[in-house]
Amino acid sequence: MDVNVVYNTSYEMPLGYLIATYFYLTGLSAGSFVVSVIATIGGKKEYKPIGRIGAVMAPILLILAPMTLIVDLEQPFRFWHLFLYLNLKSPITYGSFLLSAYPINGLIYAWYLFTGREKIAKILGIIGIPLALATHGYTGFILALGKGRALWSTALMPTLFIISAMVSGVALMILLAVIRNRYFFKGKPAEEKLEDEKLISGLTKFLGAFIIADLFLVFNDILVLMTSTEEALGVAKLILFGDFSWEFLVIEIFLGGFVPLFLIFNSKVNRYMKSTVIASLLTLIGVYSMRVVVVIAGQSLPLH
Amino acid sequence: MKKADVRYGMVIDLRRCIGCHSCSVACKSENDVPLSVYRSWVKVIEKGKYPNVSRSFLPSLCNNCEQPICVQNCPTKASYQREDGVVMVDPHRCIGCKYCIASCPYDVRFVNPIKRIVQKCYFCNHRVDAGIAPACVVTCLGRARIFGNLRDPKSEISHLLATNPVQVLKPEMATKPQVFYIGADLEAMDPMKGRE
Repeated sequence: MDVNVVYNTSYEMPLGYLIATYFYLTGLSAGSFVVSVIATIGGKKEYKPIGRIGAVMAPILLILAPMTLIVDLEQPFRFWHLFLYLNLKSPITYGSFLLSAYPINGLIYAWYLFTGREKIAKILGIIGIPLALATHGYTGFILALGKGRALWSTALMPTLFIISAMVSGVALMILLAVIRNRYFFKGKPAEEKLEDEKLISGLTKFLGAFIIADLFLVFNDILVLMTSTEEALGVAKLILFGDFSWEFLVIEIFLGGFVPLFLIFNSKVNRYMKSTVIASLLTLIGVYSMRVVVVIAGQSLPLH
Repeated sequence: MKKADVRYGMVIDLRRCIGCHSCSVACKSENDVPLSVYRSWVKVIEKGKYPNVSRSFLPSLCNNCEQPICVQNCPTKASYQREDGVVMVDPHRCIGCKYCIASCPYDVRFVNPIKRIVQKCYFCNHRVDAGIAPACVVTCLGRARIFGNLRDPKSEISHLLATNPVQVLKPEMATKPQVFYIGADLEAMDPMKGRE
């Protein structure tokens, strides 16, 4: 049937790039915190620099993240309503407490780590891992409970967010570790340098594993979208062949997924530090693109 | 009548709708709705190939659902449901996080560009509380919109619902909309149609 819409109204997208950036920042923070804690608990001496980098980055990123949220509010000066008038059914309510508890715990953890009291730091770190994962996982629930949008309302969303958080967090750690070794600890003996490089290549393998898990989840998501409701098919077409195919297929999947995987696992290329750096940079860009695609493309289909 | 005996709803009888958009105009003027946003509007589609063609209308407004996802997701309880079922937004409590807009399957909420809070159709609660029907209902020249108490078996709306085949928008969302359509066109109800 030929159908032509003569008159209809449309609204602005409620959530925009600021929200995508917020998801990105919490993801980075959660990922770096988990890597930091694993490095601290792992106990080996050569892991310690990674533990410290993560411990610094996690709270910094998570102090920036809520700023983007408050700026995005239409009534920024009413943000305290979130703590006073609680609706326990809303995922945002859980978020406002997680976003307060997690950076505080992270700061105390970093304090104990840097003052050398590692036993307490380890305990705080173990408390922090579920907090970090919940802080990022709840953002997945925010989208998953928006049941009007076909791209969002899937049970995969929290898991997908946590895995992509680990991808971006590990990539950030690798990048910072390379920068640290290159510019701040130049005069090290060759032996220690070798240790550092081993550590970085170990992290790179982790990154590869998380990218594979992430790609697998995205594949599942797209496959189910294509065989589900009309809206789901519409949004799958939108990100595969429509307005968002560049962001999704080229940046997120190819440049942010397959190219880094090649750089990490191809034995001819992965000997060079350069390819590690490029792989981490590309994954960082790819994960941001994923956040944008999920938030913006998710709202791009008309609902009436 | 006790409060629990009241559950407001609306029937839109599309056999009587002529697509004049007076409901949209009445709503704008009654509720002081700013430019670029609408609490109620009429979607118009054309379909078919000459000579077999027709136009369909779909007057749209907040469904004031029985299971509103916006109320569930609002973090500050600014969105709440009255005992008579009307879904409200407390203008002093709303922080404008826009999560309710993002989660509404019908896209009937908007940010008021002047007041900077989220608003929507409240079935003209100020008029209903004073005992008169919503502005769109009173103004509709074909009497296509019928408003009333769904729990009162003697009301006009109950009579219409009992004696006509009716449908609601997106029943699969399990929000239980309280705006019912008689004779709504499938093509007009489908948001994906006619967009290419």
